[in-house]
Amino acid sequence: METKSNDPTFERYSRQMRFPGIGEAGQKRLGNSHVTLCGCGALGTVLANALVRAGVGHLRLIDRDFIETHNLQRQVLFDEHDVAENLPKAEAAARKLGAVNSSVHIEPVVTDIDRTNILDLVRDADLILDGTDNFEIRYLINDAAVKLNKPWVYGGCIGSHGQTMTILPGQTPCLRCVFEAAPNPGEAGTCETAGVLSPIVNIVASYQAAEALKILAGKLDKVNRELIYLDVWDNIQRRIKIAPLLGKVDCPCCRHRRFDWLEGDHGAHTTSLCGRNAVQVAHRTPSSLNFEDMARHLEKLGSVSYNRFLLKFQVDGYEFTVFPDGRAIIKGTNDVDKARTLYAKYIGH
Amino acid sequence: MIYLDNAATSFPKPEAVYQALDRFARTDLANPGRAGHKMALAAERALDDARHLLNQLFAGEAPERFIFTLNCTDALNMAFKGVLSAGDHVITTDLEHNSVSRPLRAMELTGKIALTRIKADATGSVDPDAFRKAITPKTRLIAMTHASNVLGTVQPIADVGRIAREHEVLFLVDAAQTAGVLPIRVQEMLIDLLAFPGHKSLLGPTGTGALYVGPRAKVAVWREGGTGGDSSSETQPRELPSFLEGGTPNVLGVAGLAAGIKYFREHGMLRIHAHETALIERLWQRLDELPGVTVFGHRDLSRRVGTLSFVSEALPAAEIGGILDQAFDIAIRPGLHCAPYIHRNIGTFPDGAVRVSPGAFSTEEDIDRLASALAEIHA
Repeated sequence: METKSNDPTFERYSRQMRFPGIGEAGQKRLGNSHVTLCGCGALGTVLANALVRAGVGHLRLIDRDFIETHNLQRQVLFDEHDVAENLPKAEAAARKLGAVNSSVHIEPVVTDIDRTNILDLVRDADLILDGTDNFEIRYLINDAAVKLNKPWVYGGCIGSHGQTMTILPGQTPCLRCVFEAAPNPGEAGTCETAGVLSPIVNIVASYQAAEALKILAGKLDKVNRELIYLDVWDNIQRRIKIAPLLGKVDCPCCRHRRFDWLEGDHGAHTTSLCGRNAVQVAHRTPSSLNFEDMARHLEKLGSVSYNRFLLKFQVDGYEFTVFPDGRAIIKGTNDVDKARTLYAKYIGH
Repeated sequence: MIYLDNAATSFPKPEAVYQALDRFARTDLANPGRAGHKMALAAERALDDARHLLNQLFAGEAPERFIFTLNCTDALNMAFKGVLSAGDHVITTDLEHNSVSRPLRAMELTGKIALTRIKADATGSVDPDAFRKAITPKTRLIAMTHASNVLGTVQPIADVGRIAREHEVLFLVDAAQTAGVLPIRVQEMLIDLLAFPGHKSLLGPTGTGALYVGPRAKVAVWREGGTGGDSSSETQPRELPSFLEGGTPNVLGVAGLAAGIKYFREHGMLRIHAHETALIERLWQRLDELPGVTVFGHRDLSRRVGTLSFVSEALPAAEIGGILDQAFDIAIRPGLHCAPYIHRNIGTFPDGAVRVSPGAFSTEEDIDRLASALAEIHA
């Protein structure tokens, strides 16, 4: 099928438009679309790359972190110069992709996503994409998306496995229908403790990107309605039927429209400055940590010691003092946001 | 849980307080004064009774000079913002809680007032003569705590009150740690403004507090609104307490507070004080045996309230607090205790110290369990 468009900027999309699912109409829709991408790390760089090349109209890239050498193994838009320049991820990604496709309006936002800013960050979006590494933010995205009736695509990876699902509020189950609660601190690994392989990231993000194209091109009938789970090491591919959950689960979010994370009831952590260069991060719902398991994960990353009272962990100039209920004192920063990020990174969500 | 954080708020409350709260909430919880029906009158009477109790307890000039507030902080703010004018000089100390130091420092920073902060000596006391020397012709107010909420050291307020009166300076006392613990007689001690919480040693519920406004203190109107009487007046009625008590008061909390005051009157305020300081001494003796532990403030129990702070060379305060909470189920308060200046003075800023504050219902066994836990942590 030949494109009838004479617009030279459309030429770059000719192979994409030749695919019947997109076509000229779909491409135009893409060009008029507005996407908010939460997180510009492993999943986020793959997603941003795919969407900018595919010609979305406006891409808002949000990430508060700066690029570090250990990101380069899987975060496809960054290189050693970016590390040397100590660039924020959102800025560096916007620069790279601006050179790839100057017709896309790319808006880097260097900030933490939280309940005070998320609605503003997604209000004008036609689609929200999850490139975060953090269950707390995913529930927040879910609340915002359900509240504003916007589609979003969840993706998460750890080790050699990953999963993704697409949420069309009202038409498919939401994140809380499927995952009632976030894993407790220390329960699920993090990329820091369990590691992550680059191929699984690329695969999951590519699934997410394909979902994004379907939604933005207006092909909702093609949207994946299952939870996809993949393990590239143990060779597992599962498709879990979640559609029946819609309406069956007494979901506080999409059924009762109670947005606990957005309203701050469930913000998992409270923080307080305590002492010189130290922040205490506490969980609202105390858990019971197994120091032995935690130490086994953490000893690969830094020095760990523990007794029945507390666990001490040193990494990158930070010192964690973790108590059995999940509360931690993190020494080495006065920045509560940084402490929150460190907590999510090493202790869990 | 062994609760040793009574300097923050007392727990548990006497059984009589729980009963009073329950009974009042079920039978008399109307809006005081406003309607004139039986329940409204009962509520009004609850407020009056509590004011009389306070006036007796603190030997004030009249019950209506006790203005109910949300807490001690609310009372202090009402006082500072109500008596200070541009160009005034204020003298305070480095023992103060943030509820005193923050509003004063904020007024200093905006250029409204000049502020002198008297330093406590190594034993945790201030020298009355230092106030005399700091007074200038512009000095309007001396504002100080009766006892340090960190060190537990009692300050010579009667001496400072005399100096203030001699120089015609207003004298404000923050009795957060002493109201219900030590005798305070506002007229004899020449106190013009006394701020205190209802939920600490007065054994009432949170959400209660009061400001005593002596005849020399002219406090500007604070929160304007309904007063239940004199409704035809276009602005706030000039009479106390209505002038400073706009809006529905926490009459339920005040009913509980009255029960708390009656409780410690019956059981002997000084006896409770002696009980608490004896527990402090008991702990102190055990801490003496632990290497690397330093306790702050002088050891004269007659000049202390039941609060003790210490640091350990072995572990930072926050970790001791976390371990006591998690492994031993003991509640103490680590940190700066909202009093950063005194922590700077004693060299414990910003990590803070461990504060232990037993209450009327704490036992020797509670202290022994804390001491054993600390010994185990330090082993």
